[in-house]
Amino acid sequence: MGMRLLTLFALLFCFSNDVFAQTEIDKGKAIYSRLCAFCHGIEGAGDGPAAAYLNPPPRDFTLGLYKWKSTKFDEYAPSDDDLARMISGMRSHDSIPGWDGMNATSMPGWSDLLGKEEVSHVAAYLKSLAGYDNAPKSAIDLSGKVKADSASVERGKTLFKDRCAECHGVSGRGDATKKLKDDWGARTWPRDLTEGWTFRAGSAPEDIYARITIGIPGTQMPSFADPASKKMMTDAQRWDVANYAVSLNESEKKPSANPVLKAMKLDGKLPDGPADAKWDKAAISGFYLFPQIFVSSKSYTPSVVSVSVKALYNDGEAAFLIEWDDPTNSMPWDQKALEIADGDLFPDSVAVQFPSGQLKPGDRPYFGMGGPKPVTIWQWKGPESIEEGQRARIIDAKGVKNINQRLADGLLTANGIYDNGRWRVVIKGPLKGSDKDPVFEEGGFTPVAFALWDGSNGDTGGRHLMTGWQWMTFEKQGEGPSYLWPVAAGVIVFCGEMLWLFSARKKD
Amino acid sequence: MRLLKFVLTCLFFYLLLKAPGLFLGKPVPSSLIAMYMFFIVITVLLVMTITDDGAEKLFAPIRSLVEDPSKKLIRNVVFVVVPIVCGYAVYDSGEKKAPPTELRAVHPAPPAIVKAYGKTFDLASIGNPFRKAEKEDPAAFKAFVKEGSEVYFKNCFFCHGDKLDGKGHYAHALELRPLPFTGTDTIAQLQESYLFWRILKGGPGLPREGGPSISAMPAWENELTEDEIWKVILFLYDYTGNTPRSWS
Ligand code: HEC
Ligand code: HEC
Ligand code: HEC
Repeated sequence: MGMRLLTLFALLFCFSNDVFAQTEIDKGKAIYSRLCAFCHGIEGAGDGPAAAYLNPPPRDFTLGLYKWKSTKFDEYAPSDDDLARMISGMRSHDSIPGWDGMNATSMPGWSDLLGKEEVSHVAAYLKSLAGYDNAPKSAIDLSGKVKADSASVERGKTLFKDRCAECHGVSGRGDATKKLKDDWGARTWPRDLTEGWTFRAGSAPEDIYARITIGIPGTQMPSFADPASKKMMTDAQRWDVANYAVSLNESEKKPSANPVLKAMKLDGKLPDGPADAKWDKAAISGFYLFPQIFVSSKSYTPSVVSVSVKALYNDGEAAFLIEWDDPTNSMPWDQKALEIADGDLFPDSVAVQFPSGQLKPGDRPYFGMGGPKPVTIWQWKGPESIEEGQRARIIDAKGVKNINQRLADGLLTANGIYDNGRWRVVIKGPLKGSDKDPVFEEGGFTPVAFALWDGSNGDTGGRHLMTGWQWMTFEKQGEGPSYLWPVAAGVIVFCGEMLWLFSARKKD
Repeated sequence: MRLLKFVLTCLFFYLLLKAPGLFLGKPVPSSLIAMYMFFIVITVLLVMTITDDGAEKLFAPIRSLVEDPSKKLIRNVVFVVVPIVCGYAVYDSGEKKAPPTELRAVHPAPPAIVKAYGKTFDLASIGNPFRKAEKEDPAAFKAFVKEGSEVYFKNCFFCHGDKLDGKGHYAHALELRPLPFTGTDTIAQLQESYLFWRILKGGPGLPREGGPSISAMPAWENELTEDEIWKVILFLYDYTGNTPRSWS
């Protein structure tokens, strides 16, 4: 009797547990179909209607493989905490403004819509898609953290050359020498480690240590804690490399909230090329790029997140130094460029756009190559063959269908250098040309926009990256912060105080 | 402590002016705040010094600071700090040379008619042809919404966001932020024909006060069919639980 009762209870227990789990999964599925299926697909295969328009593509959950997990490298599954974090938001300390999901992807954080419980239901559904329900609890151990002093960074640097440079490039700019694909067949580019704000799972030392220790499942980036690997590193070594990787971050390149490009005035000649010490005087401004998704041949898989610009001018000319990281130089005779290009290879290119002629206040032309109001574009194009060399041209445009190329001879010069995954291009043009040309005024503000082509990513013609109108200002010479007026104000107030004091004394 | 009361009153008004920026993310322009504060300080000062006695009490602490020998130390400190603060204020205000700002109407008045697909649409009389299915044929309606969702997730979510909250993947890079469709103060206040016009003609189709040269909203008339636009509008309302503004 007792035995039978016990079995009955046990049966009931198992059954109810199962039912309980089942309803959780159903609840999760309902949320998933409403919010996630557009990208991740109704069956979780990463094939929703949006999938074809995304770079990186949305995760296919049927393999149960997750890139940004924190469990040991030999655990296939992520922990429940991992899933909760991936779904509700990564909360990295350095992120793209307004984005709490995975940086530089279209996967947002969902904590504004989903409470903790709902997130756990969706997670239960995701687990059921891959056929496992017991997630491991253990995250990797972060207690051995090594302080990021110069000795640690130095040790990390040596290790980086040997372990990481083959993919991330010697300068860490992601200038891979390999064509990489992940397990789902999507092209992957090793991250540009100088742009910490683009890391999907955070750029703090702990985050990078986690990536090195666990690897990035489903990609070629291996675990460096795996004793079976020739590249295995000790715990302390992995912290050293993480510290070094953090030191590569160039935070001054991260675009600020409302960037204004400040052109500095120089006496005498402006630099012809990027390697000129005069550029050190100019302040750097970063601008976020978006792909051209407005007309005809649209670009859905951008490969560059932002561009950094400096500007100088003298009495006759204005010069721009434009820098961005690009895994290849896109030169067709360069074996590496050919090997890792995605499809056809086109030359890299960059352009600066201004309103043509004098601008009335509040009267900017259409940002996408003008319209009824014209724009002038200064373009630099990388070489298509060794003989031809780099090219500069001026374009007058009144909309995408009304474009006129003008001979740039003598008016415009452009000159770029590609080095270790970074283009540095100088474009130099007249401060005041014909009435078609832009007018730059000392002390004034001019609208300016940028466009960029990554030829190894298939960018050519209308397929490119761009910014909207930004502002640049031509600072008056010697204008910097002036100390005269503040000091004068201080002195006047002080004298006032003294007068008051003396008159009060006299009264006594 | 009349002086304290004076300072607190001014501070109260200052915070009131700052509140929209701090809590609603819609800051009052600083030049406007400066102007209001100027008048507020003067008015409060006038009110508090309307009687001689009041004026006397208000300024007493300042006077005693200068005249009372026992307060020498505080006086010296104040006399040094005040000029420095003034100098800094001048330095700070001189630094900011802001680029010109353009005021823009978010929902400018639509034109009476729009031309597209070789037809002329009278915005005052057209409605969503798929809307009636909502009551008459819920199953068909669901299918229309689903088709609309695919239009949205192939063309619009980059900017308007996966959650229709205006925070898409590329939103941070655009000068004018894409508008959200969530919340009761967005598309619920608009007629479907208004959205039809906006989607057809995009940023370039805006009147001058709408900022046609800086809006990144594409014109969709050459990319989407008439039906696709009406269906994506159905989806925008359905997903956000909003209902379009009706005729009356
Ligand atoms: C607009 C498209 C989009 C929507 C909607 C979306 N995701 Fe994603 N999701 C992505 C993309 C793109 C990635 C890949 C990111 C990467 O590779 O780093 C991703 C990755 C993920 C990952 C994997 C992270 C990892 O470590 O591998 C999880 C889990 C996930 N999404 C869950 C969800 C859930 C749950 C929802 C709905 C609440 C959702 N996503 C909605 C685009 C989307
Ligand atoms: C075999 C090539 C390869 C090697 C070796 C490699 N990586 Fe990576 N790494 C990649 C790829 C590919 C990605 C991008 C994966 C993706 O987004 O799908 C990546 C991404 C990263 C990220 C970005 C993580 C995030 O949150 O976005 C960091 C940080 C990183 N790697 C650091 C390192 C360090 C440090 C080393 C050396 C110890 C290293 N990698 C070695 C290929 C590699
Ligand atoms: C490149 C980014 C971008 C894309 C893609 C885009 N939009 Fe927009 N959209 C904007 C911006 C920016 C605004 C706000 C400026 C304006 O009103 O023109 C806007 C405004 C709108 C408005 C006006 C809302 C209101 O409250 O007045 C509607 C409706 C709209 N978009 C619908 C769509 C639809 C539907 C799609 C897809 C077919 C789409 N948008 C694709 C950027 C975009």
